[in-house]
Amino acid sequence: MRLYGRSRAYEDSEGGAINVSPLIDVVFILLIFFIVSATFVSLPGIEVTRPKTQTAESLEKNSILFAISQENQIFHAGEEILLKEIPRFIELASKDRKKPVVIQPDEWADAALLAKVILQARSKAPSVSIATRKPK
Amino acid sequence: MKRSLKSLPTDEVEINVSPLIDMVFILLIFFIVATSFINESGITSKYKDTANNSLSEHPPLSFQLPASGQLMQNGAVIGLEEIAPIVRNAKGKSKSLVLIQVSPGSKAGLATQVMDQAILGGAEAVKLSPIAR
Repeated sequence: MRLYGRSRAYEDSEGGAINVSPLIDVVFILLIFFIVSATFVSLPGIEVTRPKTQTAESLEKNSILFAISQENQIFHAGEEILLKEIPRFIELASKDRKKPVVIQPDEWADAALLAKVILQARSKAPSVSIATRKPK
Repeated sequence: MKRSLKSLPTDEVEINVSPLIDMVFILLIFFIVATSFINESGITSKYKDTANNSLSEHPPLSFQLPASGQLMQNGAVIGLEEIAPIVRNAKGKSKSLVLIQVSPGSKAGLATQVMDQAILGGAEAVKLSPIAR
């Protein structure tokens, strides 16, 4: 009974102020985590069915993405682009840091177009990879 | 002067942290929204554009993908599972480069699987080259 009375008196004297220091600590930790993990990759804007491969390995996260749709259109950063524009987009996106290029082809896209896209990309990028998925 | 001296408080100073918290929350929300956790897996076509004379000495192991969707080597139709043994057996002669000649109309899924099988067979570099119709 006495304890109850004391705690009530304590609350009254504080005026109900909440200690925000732990909150700020947690928010700062979250903020630092998201700053460190942010990569700012612009996604191609379409979802493709990736080909299945057995030797797929994890690719560089901070890379320039291109996608080839089933209808043989090339996408980059949410827009459809032309084949000959690829070197220019790579230069724009990499800004003299050599970023690798990842191409996401649809399983049913034209292989000759994929080969041409790789040739175009290789003229500017240090490495060109093809995004695939592992068979379940 | 007198005023500032007078206004120096004797008890502890309390900094108002609310604007700080607001700013930190705004930054936090920005980074949460802007972060994209993509985890792409795939294969890399490693090859160096070598000089032509070395290529003519050791002609690379080549596969053809015609528009019909088949897989051919030297005019004969082969299966996808035959590629890895072919590459493995040919390693002595031309281990450096596997060339996949693709015709317009063949599918990227098949070309990627051929590359995958060639890498599985021990190929160091795989090159996709488009051939004109």
